[in-house]
Amino acid sequence: MPIIVNLDVMMAKRKMSLNELSEKVNLTLANLSILKTGKAKAVRFSTLEAICKALDCQPGDILEFVEKH
Amino acid sequence: MKPTTKVILTILHVISWIIFLGLCVKTGAILYSFFVTLAINPEGAKNLYMELNLSNLYNFDKGYYIVLVSSIIVVSSLKALLFYFVVKIFLKINLVKPFSEDVSRLISGIGYVALGIGILEEIVNKNCDWLAKQGVALPDLQSVLGGGGEFLLLGAVIFIISQVFKRGIEIQTENELTV
Repeated sequence: MPIIVNLDVMMAKRKMSLNELSEKVNLTLANLSILKTGKAKAVRFSTLEAICKALDCQPGDILEFVEKH
Repeated sequence: MKPTTKVILTILHVISWIIFLGLCVKTGAILYSFFVTLAINPEGAKNLYMELNLSNLYNFDKGYYIVLVSSIIVVSSLKALLFYFVVKIFLKINLVKPFSEDVSRLISGIGYVALGIGILEEIVNKNCDWLAKQGVALPDLQSVLGGGGEFLLLGAVIFIISQVFKRGIEIQTENELTV
């Protein structure tokens, strides 16, 4: 998919573990893992809002568009 | 799930099993009588299965007799297969997450088998009409064959349902992968 999820990069920058983030955004580890590995088909605005709040970042820091050639 | 729905599903499951077993027995009985008629005693054609008398056809032409009885056996086997799929659906269905690949495959299978039965029954009925015109007195085959039209309708409806079901699987997968 041309949308890349940079959640792991942001987590590394904020030195936050998946468990910690899962507790802060109130998402299951399985769902966070789906998002982190790029398997997700859609992201709810509420989830994005919670992640941005927890990681103190913008949606653009997590999602990136890379054109496929 | 409502308790009444559960009870209805259980009753339908049991009925499907009974029909499946009945059709297996019927197919086996006709197959056995057919081989007995061909290999041991041609008089067997007088009572092939539950008073089904095809002795006139046997005397008219053995080839037509073999074709007709083989068609009846194939139709009966396909009906048994259809109910086998129904029984399997009852075993696999999960109403919490109803849209699964297995159930979709079974529903498609039922659609194709029903269409096959309908087409085959129509062909056999036309063949019987033709044989009647040739002067062969045939018994009413409705008890062993059926009309054909019903199965064509059933097949078409189930085929449409299977397509809707496939879309349901896509929506469920998308829903599961929405974070």
